[in-house]
Amino acid sequence: MPKIEVNEKLFFSLLGDAPDAAALEAILPTAKAELDGWDADGANAEDRTIKIELNDTNRPDLWSTAGLARQLKTHRTKKVPSYPFFVPIGEKHSSSYTVEVEESVRRVRPYLAGFVAKGVAITDAMLRDMIQTQEKLTWNYGRKRRTVSIGLYRPSVIAWPVHYKGVDPDKASFVPLQETRDMTLRQILAEHPKGKEYSFILQNEAIHPLLVDDKHRVLSYPPIINSADLGAVLVGDRELFIEVTGSDYPSVALTASIMACDLSDMGFAIENVDVIYPYDTPFGRKITFPCYFQEGLKVRLGQVRKLLGLDMSLEEARDAAERMGSIASIEGDSIAVKPAEYRNDFLHPVDITEDVLIGIGMENFPPERPRDFTIGRLSPIEQFSRKAKLTLVGTGYQEMIYNYLGSGRDYIEKMGIPAADVVKITNPMSENFEYLRNSPLPGLLGTEAVSVKAPYPHRTFEVGKVAVKCVSENYGIATRQYIGFLNTHAQADYNESASHLATLMFYLGREYTVKEAQDPRFIQGRQAEVWSGGKRIGVFGEVHPSVLGAFGITMPAAGGELDLDALLEVPETAAK
Amino acid sequence: MDAASVAKTLHPLEVRILLKYDSGREIDARTVRDDLGYREGQENQAFSWLSGKRLIEETSRSVSVFYEITPLGSEYAEKGTPEERIFNLIGESGALRLPEVAEKLGLEQKSIGSAFGLLSKEAVLFMDEGKRAALKPGAALPLRVARLRALLDKAAAQAGTLEERSLDAEDLSVIQSVAKKRGAGDAPFRMAERERVVYRLSDATKDVRAALIALGMTGEEYGALTPAMLEKGSWKSGSFRPYNIGVSPARTIPGRKNPYVEFLESVKDKLVSLGFEEFDGNMVETEFWNSDALFMPQFHSARDIHDVYYIDDPKSAQYIEEPHLSNVAAAHENGGNTGSRGWSYQFDRDFTRRLILRSQGTVLSARQLPKAKIPGKYFGIARCFRYDKVDATHLSDFYQTEGIVLGEDVNLRTLLGFLEMFAVEVAGAKEVKYVPGYFPFTEPSVEVHIKHPVLGWFELGGSGIFRPEVTKSLGIDVPVLAWGIGIDRMALMALGLNDLRELFSPDLESVRMRRALTKTR
Repeated sequence: MPKIEVNEKLFFSLLGDAPDAAALEAILPTAKAELDGWDADGANAEDRTIKIELNDTNRPDLWSTAGLARQLKTHRTKKVPSYPFFVPIGEKHSSSYTVEVEESVRRVRPYLAGFVAKGVAITDAMLRDMIQTQEKLTWNYGRKRRTVSIGLYRPSVIAWPVHYKGVDPDKASFVPLQETRDMTLRQILAEHPKGKEYSFILQNEAIHPLLVDDKHRVLSYPPIINSADLGAVLVGDRELFIEVTGSDYPSVALTASIMACDLSDMGFAIENVDVIYPYDTPFGRKITFPCYFQEGLKVRLGQVRKLLGLDMSLEEARDAAERMGSIASIEGDSIAVKPAEYRNDFLHPVDITEDVLIGIGMENFPPERPRDFTIGRLSPIEQFSRKAKLTLVGTGYQEMIYNYLGSGRDYIEKMGIPAADVVKITNPMSENFEYLRNSPLPGLLGTEAVSVKAPYPHRTFEVGKVAVKCVSENYGIATRQYIGFLNTHAQADYNESASHLATLMFYLGREYTVKEAQDPRFIQGRQAEVWSGGKRIGVFGEVHPSVLGAFGITMPAAGGELDLDALLEVPETAAK
Repeated sequence: MDAASVAKTLHPLEVRILLKYDSGREIDARTVRDDLGYREGQENQAFSWLSGKRLIEETSRSVSVFYEITPLGSEYAEKGTPEERIFNLIGESGALRLPEVAEKLGLEQKSIGSAFGLLSKEAVLFMDEGKRAALKPGAALPLRVARLRALLDKAAAQAGTLEERSLDAEDLSVIQSVAKKRGAGDAPFRMAERERVVYRLSDATKDVRAALIALGMTGEEYGALTPAMLEKGSWKSGSFRPYNIGVSPARTIPGRKNPYVEFLESVKDKLVSLGFEEFDGNMVETEFWNSDALFMPQFHSARDIHDVYYIDDPKSAQYIEEPHLSNVAAAHENGGNTGSRGWSYQFDRDFTRRLILRSQGTVLSARQLPKAKIPGKYFGIARCFRYDKVDATHLSDFYQTEGIVLGEDVNLRTLLGFLEMFAVEVAGAKEVKYVPGYFPFTEPSVEVHIKHPVLGWFELGGSGIFRPEVTKSLGIDVPVLAWGIGIDRMALMALGLNDLRELFSPDLESVRMRRALTKTR
């Protein structure tokens, strides 16, 4: 979830209101936002910031001061803002600025959008906000700059038209931001902090993207870094050229739209940029940005009423939809929505329905008790497990519960079992959580390792899931419900465990036989497999001293494990 | 404590002393043993208890010397001393060589030698020309030997002990000549020093004694009730010694359920009582069921390598069930039959088979949809796995509680109704509030917040109505309410803990001592 910091003064001026914390918290839900912190007593009013968390990953327009203020203000005033500088896709338009795309960039990073903003001296708060928006949009929405990256420039020093092309990373060079020397693209990826951070995007590409002006001066090396000469924007500048490049055109175009609306809200005049391609794109070969590319959609009022459970008129539904920033109209029995320029999150008519809900306000939907009657029940394995637990508790056992992820040291080495038996994680966070357990016994033995001071005897058990390799399964791995039990004290032995097991099996109503077992975790000749209904359902015995030693346990222990899922399938013997 | 209360706490050994002696009387171990027949140790036990209650106080302490008969001494007492036995043997059978004496008496040469030496010195025996020990005519046993004999007999009659004070000077000289302090194995007596402590019954015993009499306590009360007493009915002829109920009881270690598991079971029972049926599933899942079936685009940022755990072997499922695979793929690509425009990308059918550890409980809901009843209500408490650094508020594996409600007539307001029910019934909330939320698989989405008396407002869970892209792809045409409750925090509250790691504590003693609250709320 993106978190942003907004400058209080800029935010209030865009909002046209100055709410206190309680009032702000009351209206933030309309933007699926939460107040995360507000240093309302900060010394300098100019520098005070409000921290806000945004929950909707499909509404990147809300991740900026202007965007958030726009949504809150529109909801409050029900006045849809107007952005007349958008040019609908396919509409002919002639702009003062042009970017010419070359065929050479098509394979590596094919799409570009851009616009020019003029007329306001950029303040420190604005610049910081723009940089934050750029980061949030490219990191979260642009998937760490893979699908979207943004560059900011001073348009007046650029020789237009700008050219977007593919180059050889070992030949092209320029002076990047935060550097004073001329570096090849290859050097930038290897040595520049930003190059190292984002090299994963381009490292396997033979041709890299480059943005140059008509005098062959480098503007930037998308999506890595701007040039130090043409790619620096400073407080006090009154003009901006903003370009967005990436691999998914709707995302690229929407990012440009969001930034254009933000700057427009801050008082800038937005001027169009034409982008001309030698190849086909989803939006055509000549596109004017900011570009309106979204498609309208509609929803029948009946569907809205059914899903929300509230009666409302067409007019009420339309008004509610408009509070969320889109132009809505009534078409027969439906509400038609022309999505706001800065939104592209309408996939299905239910998305309009949610806008209607938020537009009306959640507080206006009284909760209603469900009317359908259904019978509740625990799963058969839960019922069976509870029976097993009750018997062991009555026999004097303490129930335990453990984490399922653990180390190879505990699950494999100490238990003396083959590594291939245990499910391994390819990308563990640490070696302490690298394997998914195949038995409850390491957990129970782990308890013994840390519980020497607890008065003996120790009788412990756990009912829980294990993962076992199983070639016949589609996944090759089966999840099973196991019960593991362990007796640890000076006289703990096979016979005691055998007796407890017999008690357990008696009350679970399952007949069983034992067979000699060869499990390395137990002492040879003092262990047995448990068979029931023709299946091997478990093993028990005296824990092998080498296993005890590996866990640092100096007290004899005996116990075992049973597959409760398998046992449940065995027919129950007739009750006596 | 008043006298009557004190009286009730007394052990029979104490009672009999208090009844026997008046206050002010001085007593010692010997007195009590002689008068009341206490066995050694019992009197000191009684003195210790009575001192603790300040019913007696020590007045003097002195050391006495005792002579205790040794096993050898016991043998002498029974069979006679070697001197006696030689004297008698030779008296009966005439002169004998010393080895013959040793053989006949079964004694060692050494003791025969020293006994002969003593008797010849006293002119009772002499060695004749045939090197045989012979009796001097008319000689009698020396006085010393007779006195030793008498001392042995006296000691044997007094439980083997002679107190030094009770002996006259001559006896003392005899006994000192044969007693040893240490290494007394070859001596008939061992000399021992014992402390003699004299106690005085305090003034308070007067009232206690009166109270004992008033209570009818004699010190002859029954201790344990035995099967024999029940069989014979002998318990009828006496009364039982009252116990001191103020003594702290001994610890019992019971068999017990784990408090955290008990909490989880209580949540399950509550949901069952609300008409929900439990479901369960695999910990290892495919990208398909974990995310794709929930309409999370494959390029979604939450699906990065740093958000889910991949399985090393095998890496992928063999297949994904049809028609689900095709329907879900179509929903992602262009909406398929769901009325959506989809995410407009090429669905990756290899990626979707990749095996991961279940990262959200909602996978169970997706799995249930194709086989769900309408109307139907389902829930599960599922262990989920997240790529998180483990600390007080994050675990790499933990439980999520998830559920769905299917029905022709369910809608946003019934969803709010359910959330209210959970908040009140499961979490014990007094105040509930709902705000719009965001989840990739629901639209609309709602977060429910509740007010806790101590923690204030916090998010109880997330919910929503499944997107048609989710339900229609899996063959469901009615609205499906989906919800999840964060029960970890509720569990910490219920168990009085503040670190999630404590829920899965391996420490036996801390688990044994953990008391679950009786209510889940």
